[in-house]
Amino acid sequence: MIATKQEHKFNALLIELAHKGVMLLLVFFIASAVIFTAVNLVPGDPVSLRLKNPDPERVAAIRAELGLDEPLINQYFHYITSFVRGNWGDSLITGQTVREEIGEYFPATLELALLALFLGVILGLGAAFSAQWFKSGLWRNTALGLGALGLTVPIFWLGFLFIVVGSLWLGWFPSGGRFDFTLPIPQGSGFLIFDSLAAGRLDMLRVTFQHLALPVCCLSLYPAALVCGVLQARFSDPRLHTLLRALRAKGLSESRIWLIHILRLLGAAVITVVGTNFGALLGGAVLTESVFSWPGMGRYLVEAVLNRDLFVVENGLLLIILLAYLIISTADLLAFLSNPTVRRHSDSAS
Amino acid sequence: MSRFSTIFEYATWGALCLSLVGLFYTPYNPMEQDFRNLAFSSASFSHWFGIDGLGRDFGSRLWRGSGNTAAMALMALSLNFIIASFLLFIEQSGPRFLRRVIPLGIGIWVAVPVLFIGLVMMVFLKPSAGTLIIAVSLGNVPLAFRQLRILWIEQRNALYVLATEILGAGRRHLLAYTLWPNLRPDLMGLAKLILAICVLELSGLAFLGLIGDPDFPELGAILRQNQAYLFRNPMLVAWPGLILSTLLLLVHLSKSRSY
Repeated sequence: MIATKQEHKFNALLIELAHKGVMLLLVFFIASAVIFTAVNLVPGDPVSLRLKNPDPERVAAIRAELGLDEPLINQYFHYITSFVRGNWGDSLITGQTVREEIGEYFPATLELALLALFLGVILGLGAAFSAQWFKSGLWRNTALGLGALGLTVPIFWLGFLFIVVGSLWLGWFPSGGRFDFTLPIPQGSGFLIFDSLAAGRLDMLRVTFQHLALPVCCLSLYPAALVCGVLQARFSDPRLHTLLRALRAKGLSESRIWLIHILRLLGAAVITVVGTNFGALLGGAVLTESVFSWPGMGRYLVEAVLNRDLFVVENGLLLIILLAYLIISTADLLAFLSNPTVRRHSDSAS
Repeated sequence: MSRFSTIFEYATWGALCLSLVGLFYTPYNPMEQDFRNLAFSSASFSHWFGIDGLGRDFGSRLWRGSGNTAAMALMALSLNFIIASFLLFIEQSGPRFLRRVIPLGIGIWVAVPVLFIGLVMMVFLKPSAGTLIIAVSLGNVPLAFRQLRILWIEQRNALYVLATEILGAGRRHLLAYTLWPNLRPDLMGLAKLILAICVLELSGLAFLGLIGDPDFPELGAILRQNQAYLFRNPMLVAWPGLILSTLLLLVHLSKSRSY
């Protein structure tokens, strides 16, 4: 009987995985087609725009070298196959390979976003559970305030307030940048926390955290508000109170009830809301990078778009969109695994 | 709670109207550098919010900026509702395959963050206020479409709608006296939610410099322009954010009003 149940769950998971895989392929083809069309709708030749003296022969030679003189359909095919192979061409501005540049900026954004997400979830869970446990007005108002703060205060303005308080008044944290430029940057994966730990340099780890502190705190308020809001809505559900009474009647301890049963039950909702809002978090990361002069993907892409850096725009944007979709899908799958009653009927309902 | 929400709702509409007045009237010209000799001076009787670094009355710039932000957000909201309603209409009354294709497309669309939709659009359109409005309205179509679809399906299957139809009500009567009174509260709630998102996203995109003219008086753009003076005169950064946050907080607090 147990085996049949597990088999059923495994089959359902396989179907869900296949569905997500097909959707990812669709996202890939549609997003790449839209980006490619947008790039090719630009009036003016990006190669001529980059050359100081656009000699027609030189322009033609560069265009031929980059494959820009071929029919559009061939160019699109070349674009998607090159993207899959990881051959993303050279930046028209810096001349460096796009892959190298993205390899430099992408870990910075991911480190910032993932840490902010982690801190945000902890803050949101803490505020919501405290309000529920202690039942006092102070905790309830703290949770309500966190929800309002995260959803109504613009992240870029909050960043400036953090700089004024944390850097100008207290002098505890640097106002911008990812690492102290007077020190050698830890080399390796591009994730400075991991690289500092791998090198065994605690001084570097301290500097990394000092630079991360303000942007991460600033960016974490949005996921914290979301998590807190979802949990508070769930806590007001009368069915949860019935379940609590039943678990208490079974003689389970409070910590076991909350940390094992209730947290697992609410986990699916938290994972779903965090996953579906990961795109917004990436958008917030772009704004945070701009405030804190953080050398991440957001600033890199904004500059590429404003400078019409063809290959950076094509590959960087596609990568970010695929990442956002992958995170959403992973969150859906995790929610499904933690609570199998969460099925695809949410799609049909919406 | 409902009484407070009503008060906040009136405050929201009041703040929006006051902002929009700034499009037609400001005490001083927000674009002209009339007070260059007073640059960076703090608040005074004649200049309530001081003078910015380029010698312009900062209060006038803030008022025009909040007017532009509010007007752009309202335009984005209207465009968003038009596109979402059109898609819903096609989905509900078009050929059968569209019932599968449109929700599938929306499912993919929702994966693309608004900021990146804005960036894709900036590739082929000139950075301008109009481009930002289109980007923000398109970016929020999945949210509006999904919510409108739920509302529509709920209403279509409601027993009181069926009863009114059986009693022989015409389409206009059904819409005006049965559907609209029931749809209105949820539509207003949705409109307020999307308006708040539009304000936040528009100012965010303007802050990134995607509005084109760096001197355009919009709250996000004003913040960007004054970020260089953060340590010298923090109030030049504090005021635009405070106005934005107040507007968003009012919308947030008025969302739970029951009609």
